[in-house]
Amino acid sequence: MGAFAARRLAALIITMMVVSMLIFAAFEWTPGQVASKMLGPFATPEQVELLTEQMGLNRPAPVRYIEWVGNVLKGDLGYSTYFKTDVNNIIWDRLGNTLLLASIAFAIIVPCSIIFGVAAGMREGSKLDRTISVLSIVTTSVPEFASGVFLATIFVIILEWLPGASTLESGGDWSIASQLVLPVAVMVLFDLGYVVRMVRAAMVDVMMKPYIRTAVLKGLGFRKVVLGHALRNAMVVSLTVILLQINYLVAGVVVVETIFAYPGFGHMILESALSKDTATVEAATLIIVLIVVITQIAGDLGYMWLNPRIRFK
Amino acid sequence: MAQAEQALKVKSSGRFWRRLKLLTESPIGVAGAMLVLFWVFVAIFAPWLAPYDPNANNYEALADPLPNDMFLLGTDNQGRDILSRIIWGSRTVLIVAPVATFCAYVVGCILGLLSGYYRGWVDSVISRLADILLSFPAIVLYILIIMRLGPSAINVIVAVIFVASPQIIRIVRGITLEQRELDYVTAAKMRGESAIYIMLVEILPNTRGPLIVDSCLRMGYTTIQIGVLGFLGLGLPPPDPDWGGMVQETYSMMSTWPHMSLYPAIAISSLVVGFSLLADGLREISLRD
Amino acid sequence: MEQDLKKVHPYLPTLLTDYRTGKLDRREFLRTSTLLGLSAVSAYALAGGTAEADPATGNPLDTQVAEASGGTIRISMRCPGVDNPATFSWVYDSNIVRQTCDYLTRTGVDNVTRPWLLEKWEASEDLKTWTLYLKKGIKWSNGDELVADHVVWNLKRWVDPAVGSSVLGLFKDMLLTEYETGEKDDKGNPKTATKLYADNAIEKVDDYTIRLNGKTSTLAVPENLFHYPALVLHPSENGKFGVNSIGTGAFTLTTYEIGKKAVFKRRDGYWGNPVKIDSVEFIDHGDNASAALNALASKQVHGFYEAQTTQYAALKKMKHVEIHSVSTGQTAAARMQPIHDTWKDPRIAKAMRLALDTNKLLKVAYLGLGAPGEHHHVCPVHPEYADVGFMKQDIAAAKKLLAEAGKPDGFETEIFCKSDPDWEPLCVQAMVQMWKEIGVKVKINVLPSAQYWDIWNQPVAPFAFTTWTHRPLGTMVLGLAYRSNVPWNEAHWSNKKFDELLNKAEGLLDVDKRRVVMADIEKLMLDVGPICIPLWRAFFTPMDKKVKGFKAHPTAYMFAEEWSLEA
Repeated sequence: MGAFAARRLAALIITMMVVSMLIFAAFEWTPGQVASKMLGPFATPEQVELLTEQMGLNRPAPVRYIEWVGNVLKGDLGYSTYFKTDVNNIIWDRLGNTLLLASIAFAIIVPCSIIFGVAAGMREGSKLDRTISVLSIVTTSVPEFASGVFLATIFVIILEWLPGASTLESGGDWSIASQLVLPVAVMVLFDLGYVVRMVRAAMVDVMMKPYIRTAVLKGLGFRKVVLGHALRNAMVVSLTVILLQINYLVAGVVVVETIFAYPGFGHMILESALSKDTATVEAATLIIVLIVVITQIAGDLGYMWLNPRIRFK
Repeated sequence: MAQAEQALKVKSSGRFWRRLKLLTESPIGVAGAMLVLFWVFVAIFAPWLAPYDPNANNYEALADPLPNDMFLLGTDNQGRDILSRIIWGSRTVLIVAPVATFCAYVVGCILGLLSGYYRGWVDSVISRLADILLSFPAIVLYILIIMRLGPSAINVIVAVIFVASPQIIRIVRGITLEQRELDYVTAAKMRGESAIYIMLVEILPNTRGPLIVDSCLRMGYTTIQIGVLGFLGLGLPPPDPDWGGMVQETYSMMSTWPHMSLYPAIAISSLVVGFSLLADGLREISLRD
Repeated sequence: MEQDLKKVHPYLPTLLTDYRTGKLDRREFLRTSTLLGLSAVSAYALAGGTAEADPATGNPLDTQVAEASGGTIRISMRCPGVDNPATFSWVYDSNIVRQTCDYLTRTGVDNVTRPWLLEKWEASEDLKTWTLYLKKGIKWSNGDELVADHVVWNLKRWVDPAVGSSVLGLFKDMLLTEYETGEKDDKGNPKTATKLYADNAIEKVDDYTIRLNGKTSTLAVPENLFHYPALVLHPSENGKFGVNSIGTGAFTLTTYEIGKKAVFKRRDGYWGNPVKIDSVEFIDHGDNASAALNALASKQVHGFYEAQTTQYAALKKMKHVEIHSVSTGQTAAARMQPIHDTWKDPRIAKAMRLALDTNKLLKVAYLGLGAPGEHHHVCPVHPEYADVGFMKQDIAAAKKLLAEAGKPDGFETEIFCKSDPDWEPLCVQAMVQMWKEIGVKVKINVLPSAQYWDIWNQPVAPFAFTTWTHRPLGTMVLGLAYRSNVPWNEAHWSNKKFDELLNKAEGLLDVDKRRVVMADIEKLMLDVGPICIPLWRAFFTPMDKKVKGFKAHPTAYMFAEEWSLEA
């Protein structure tokens, strides 16, 4: 167990190093000067040169990279050239907002996907199975940008039930809770179908296993077999899939955040990456890598716990 | 299942037709295949099916873009016929999505095979690389590639390859690790076949089952991704119609002219539904094998 | 009073005679006389007639102003970092600081520039020396009185190359001189920097008087003082702006969250007209056109900084919203760089112009809101605009020119443009359709804005479509964009005749005389110029009907102290 943790930790550090280097290199390699992006299109060449010098951007890339690593180790994530403030001032707030959105969506997706997935998968080919399967395929096939725009039109413009922008400001008589409804709905709609199908597939697999068939034949109640045996085993497979969704929920919600003007992490990454804001993108990416790896480890541990026969070398 | 497939491998053309026949037994698979084939048909015959030039502006239609006898699905905010744009747009998506997916598969299969077959340091390097790409937020990867290379169909394909191939590497590597221990591989080695031959001719065909299902799903996912890129302003350059771009150009007019973004969105969704249903059908059949 | 005119400016009496004999219309008289330093109140008095505008701001007097109402007005606008106002590159940056800090002058919605923190200005006959008189009794929010030292400090800061303000460019010819720093750049060329050409270039005369002793004639000094970064800051804050900063304006910034919101509260002791609202907030909705629209629909905000064309139909449908609009000289130019083989022959650029039907372009790309473009980049709202005949679409003539230039079958090329605001890619697509008719096949390369601004004036983009904002005088854009070798000459176009004519026009205060020169410039641009101008767009923005006193400004400047909120 200790060796397992140590190995994963080492892998994590290597991954973070390589990822940060790749991003640094990639930004060096994309055209356009950071200083001219900061100063806007109407800056004179002298202004650009001056700022480049002031920010130390004219020094060789390796020097700047090493300096950046040193600062990060000290807890200083650098200066955001897009937001024009320290990355630390902006990133944690945004991460918190996205985690709020993600955890609500996650709290809905997990139980719903298990209920629907198990219900569909316990009797493959039944009417219930077909209905759930087709419905989940259809909802997953509507891109978020389309469902977001349609839902907003119906509930904001036509029905006037919900606020149109989710800036998390209480101005204009709309509560924060009401602002979260639409973004969460779009995320759940897009992601739920996928997880349901994965749980269903796992369930179908389990139900075909000989020991389940035997249990049913032995006269144990179908309900008892499903709840007592099949469910636990189906969970083992589903766990990985569900944990992978955390990755999507944190980094993949750019579209939802953009449509509803939600001050979140994904939208921050999009805007800073487009304006070559290396420090912000680096910090955000490292945080995502950390989240991805932690969920992977959590997945592995959960796997061990649910299925004690597996041991890690 | 591996043995069954090994037996089938001998007469692969016969297997194809058997599969196709099997597919007709899965109503879901048939529905999916029909949807996909419908769009393939539309794409192939676009020049004959489209009533107008998809990029031509009809200035009279600007005042009233709603659907009418002349423009069955209406016109967009530039007076362009939406039906013609959807028809021509099917070409774009049915070229970019399959080509991108196929290229991702070529890269993924080669690296996955090498990694699973040779193991050792080759495996370490490739797996670590795949892990790193997998932990990269996809959006950063897309932006980095498209910012560097500029927005075009080719670069969207390159971006999709970077994002999708690590996942394919993992799948292929897993299967290869399993297959290389089987008798037929040992037999091939005894015959003195080269490693390349064993990987491509012996092992690769046996990865087909899971990969065909995965590729259908991935095709649908890629279709959505192309739409998302278009929506974020990183997609294919105008004016040639692309469904995601059509939604992006018109979605702020949803409350007044819903048809402008509704129909292209339906087109995207129906194609993705088609790919997903087809994948489900294929999975059902592979379980019966 | 008329005797005193000569003291303010020697040309004023002639101007008045021209106005009285009908050679000059009322608007031009007001514009030019205030430009020459006549106080707005006197100008309106001389112009006579009914006062349809407030002499201090130029705002129409019939605007209903609700009774003192209090309340908070919320506006959807980007909220970037604003800590260094002198280096602002967008109007929305300055809209934030503008609620706390003021300009020396203000150009009104009627395009007339008036003194604001200034009482008046005077220009010498040769337009080289400008004297600025401060209003007396203006108090900063910390209780200090605004004096000449403060203004001199700001002026010197703007033209200090180490600050990096774009105001420097506007005063470079007038006040600065280039020198070699002694260092060399990577290519071995000596590096140059700028400094004041003389110690007394910016001179304090007394506590309320500042004099600019220029080395060249400059026409647009008052207009330049309204350039968006030219906000007058309190010297004690050393050029920084933030929460609770000192200002001469009506509001104090109380909360600022980058990328989220800015909150301003009304302050006590403001020197101007009484302010009605308690606070104004700017809320950031990102670049997405539908988020702001939906926020307006659900009354989370009262209005926008600026609306896009795709939002227009939806805005029209909202019953609680009024769309405010104003004609402007805002446009985008499809510029062709003659330094490349494709565009070397000016006949080809002219053929590209002749292929366009700008009436249709206005309709398709900007809903017909504005005016059809004229390819010389002088707009009908400019005082010195000369009507030299509208260039109509003429496919046959265009094809003939192409044939003469050795390209009878047309050619293929590529145009760069940016993805937002959305009318720009729409317009490019419509132009591309028209160019197809003369056999020129143009591939469109849309870039995200942040990337487009990397290449907009670079030779890597031989053919590109660039936004140009409204400026009060016609000569201002021409000087920035088409004079040989200036940094913003994105077309890399160089024409001796043009430079001569432009220098001549810039030395002429008399609008009639300037218009004669302008006619030559316009004809020259139509014939051998490097650009196509598809349209002049109207600026429009929605505002909740409860908000009173708001006027759309041609350059999107916002002045919340003029607004009130109906209960």
